Amino acid sequence: MKNQLSRLVLIAAAIILSFYFLWPTYQDYRFRQELDQRQGQDSSAYVEQNQDAILQARLKRIKLGLDLQGGMRVVLEVDLLQLLDDLARDKDDNFRTIMSEVRSDAAAAEIDVIPTFAKKFQDRGIRMSRYYGNIRDDDAAVTANLADETDKAVDRAVEIVRNRIDQYGLTEPGIQKQGGRRIIVELPGVKDEAEVRQLLQGTAKLEFLMVRDADISYKVMESIDKFLAGKGEVDTTKPAAAAKEPEKPKDALTELLGGTEPSKTDTTAEVQFLREHPFFSYVIPDDQRGTGEGYVAEKHRERVRSLLARPEVKRLMPSDFEFRWSAKTFEDRERGRFYTLHAVKPQPVLTGGVVVNAQASVNPDDNRPIVNMEMNSEGSREWARITGANVGKRIAISLDNSIFSAPTIEEKIPGGRSRITGADSPNEARLLEIVLKAGALPAPVAIIEQRTVGPSLGEDSIRSGLSATLLAFLLTVLFMVVYYSFSGFVADIALFFNVLFILGVLAGFQATLTLPGIAGIILTIGMAVDANVLIYERVREELLGGKTMRAAIDAGYSKALTAIVDSNITTFLTGLILYQFGTGPVQGFALTLMIGIIASMFSAIIITRVIFNYLSDRGISPSFG
Amino acid sequence: MRFFGKTSINFLGLRFRMYALSGLVILAGIVSLVVKGIDYGIDFRGGTELVLHFDRKLEVADIRNALGTIGLGNSEIKSFGGEGDLLIRTTEQAEGTVIADRIKESIARAFPQMTFEVLKQYKISPKISVELRRDAMYAIIASLVVILIYVGMRFKFIYGFGAVLALFHDVAVTLGILSLLDGVFPQLNLEISQEVIAAFLTIIGVSVNDTVVIFDRIRENLKIYRSMSLFELMNKSLNDTLSRTIITNGTVFLVLLTLLIFGGEVTRGFAFTLCVGMITGTYSTVYIASAVVIDWTNRKNKKP
Repeated sequence: MKNQLSRLVLIAAAIILSFYFLWPTYQDYRFRQELDQRQGQDSSAYVEQNQDAILQARLKRIKLGLDLQGGMRVVLEVDLLQLLDDLARDKDDNFRTIMSEVRSDAAAAEIDVIPTFAKKFQDRGIRMSRYYGNIRDDDAAVTANLADETDKAVDRAVEIVRNRIDQYGLTEPGIQKQGGRRIIVELPGVKDEAEVRQLLQGTAKLEFLMVRDADISYKVMESIDKFLAGKGEVDTTKPAAAAKEPEKPKDALTELLGGTEPSKTDTTAEVQFLREHPFFSYVIPDDQRGTGEGYVAEKHRERVRSLLARPEVKRLMPSDFEFRWSAKTFEDRERGRFYTLHAVKPQPVLTGGVVVNAQASVNPDDNRPIVNMEMNSEGSREWARITGANVGKRIAISLDNSIFSAPTIEEKIPGGRSRITGADSPNEARLLEIVLKAGALPAPVAIIEQRTVGPSLGEDSIRSGLSATLLAFLLTVLFMVVYYSFSGFVADIALFFNVLFILGVLAGFQATLTLPGIAGIILTIGMAVDANVLIYERVREELLGGKTMRAAIDAGYSKALTAIVDSNITTFLTGLILYQFGTGPVQGFALTLMIGIIASMFSAIIITRVIFNYLSDRGISPSFG
Repeated sequence: MRFFGKTSINFLGLRFRMYALSGLVILAGIVSLVVKGIDYGIDFRGGTELVLHFDRKLEVADIRNALGTIGLGNSEIKSFGGEGDLLIRTTEQAEGTVIADRIKESIARAFPQMTFEVLKQYKISPKISVELRRDAMYAIIASLVVILIYVGMRFKFIYGFGAVLALFHDVAVTLGILSLLDGVFPQLNLEISQEVIAAFLTIIGVSVNDTVVIFDRIRENLKIYRSMSLFELMNKSLNDTLSRTIITNGTVFLVLLTLLIFGGEVTRGFAFTLCVGMITGTYSTVYIASAVVIDWTNRKNKKP
């Protein structure tokens, strides 16, 4: 009898707890219905009135996965190699070769970047301290140090991504670090995908760079042009180089002439010019204003980019010289859109680290969106010194290696103020503000996985998932009553509580319900009756063997127990493994399956037992069909 | 109500014929897998997948033409669930979501008067797909090992071995049937997705559940009927639990069928895989797990 009482207490506790955990979910549902009915003014007043309650309910309700409510999941990978590249000093050809080798290895397969990197140096007998840390450090110390640095960098990247998303203002974002260098970002209900991508991926590396003098820039352009013009002949004498890129010169001609391949004897002026000036055919130097800039038509950008990236072309530039692209294009009425190539000193005179605040605004002069920046005191001093010493010269403001603007310094700027112009829209200015405020990512990040589910597909999934669940539940309930009559009904009560417990546990653990999770609940409904079927079949057998009802029930429960426990443990174990190896939605399935197994054992063994005991105490003999 | 009274069916007498049947089904599956290859979903293949909803029905060929303008004319394009829903998939890789953006642009350009809504957009880099494939493999192997250990521990090693062999059988048969039926029914998408892998693991879990119930009965009967031959005893245990086997697996099958029919497009492949798995799981308990235990024990007893 004492046993019966403790079971009752246990059941009551489980039920009360389930309701307690599910209450916010119900409340959240009610609030939403209420808000759907109210309009405009009325609805915002309602929100204001019930702000805390609504927020509380929302925080504690059963969370829906992205596949059910729509949203975006992005997996970012921090580019550790870029970070290693940035950390190194005195980089030489050896270093660059190793870097590009490791980079191609990393692209092919998942590798441990730092050990692979370190090993390449060892293989070549080069001490890593040539590039990193203290010159007296041994390789082990350098690698340990690098591992530490990169770890910290990834943590910082996670922090910055979180900052940016918080400032962007999304409800319930999920941001977590996965493994050594990945960041999983889950954003329920996101609408503007492109914006979020921009928000996540921009490193926000802000640099102030001195613009090179115009005549140096022209000299470099001319030497590149001459080199490329001569290169055609060089290529024919070097079969290896020719075999590598045999198509390129022809491509260029075809492209320029609008797709028709010129014959060898074609001597139109354009082709002639292209042969003699391959670089200036694509890059139009600014010889009117004398800025040293070059203009590149939008369609030629990739081509020029690859030209400039060639090592032999890079060798033509002085060491403190670099071409950087403008972030935006400008439009020429006759000739279409153009990018600007700026000639700059690649070593920044000041970096974004000194920026303490940013504010999107509108330029009163031309009503264009701008972002005003404020610097810390150290930055302000430096900024005043730089601007003071370079009056009349131009300084380029570069964000993520693209030049936003390159204004001429009119006078010394005290107080650490600067601004970014060139944003296309107020919205873009706002995004810039956010990334500048949140700080720069220590290294670029790449999107290696992106999943977006539209809200309407999510709604469809919820609807069909719920109707399938309901139907499965009804069918099972009906079947049990038909097959086992009264005891079937008892099993159905247990089944009902089983579903309640699953939902309660999901809410209590603040777990996320996904579509496969719903499938898991459906499957559990089917499997949950198994324990009762095992018991009832056993009871039937015992009754056939001539036992009294009470004895048959006792025997049924005790004999079926080992089968129930053993079989459920094995299923539970596979659920555990699935949870361990699965991702996102599949984990949701594994979770509901595991919860379902435990809940079903509890309700099938304990709840039904209490009911049968109660009945037999009152001398009622239940039917087992 | 009662479907079965006391039965005494000689299940295990048929086992050699059933070995042949299983072998045949698995062979057919292997042939199909070799000929058709494994139809991996986007998760395991990598690339970009878009599901777009158009406000009216569009011909696949028109979309293909539109994609041809950006060099993606060889993408996989098929209808997806509802009217006007189309799935576009390509294994082409580019940084970030460039491919998806280009696809959407090209369609907007080709059909300026149409509006469409993005129902789903996935981009998986090859690195991720390789990892997911590896993880799926590990998960299946790990669960088989864990079951071998648990069942071997709770019963005897040979029982664990029989159970795991039955699970191998279930995975092989189901995989084969998925491959055979893939593409046969237009509404039934049977590619190997993460959800289908979850279904495989569930099959493993549910099938071993069934096996354990019968082994439990055998274990119990071994204590009661000490003089009975193992063959008879196993047959008796199978008959004892027959009613339970049919009822439980029947209800699970029933709910899976509702999921298959009413659960919507996204879970269809998952539900179908589980349905197949339920059938082979029930069968393999008798004709693989139990049968292997018998044949192994018989062989061991013959040797001096």
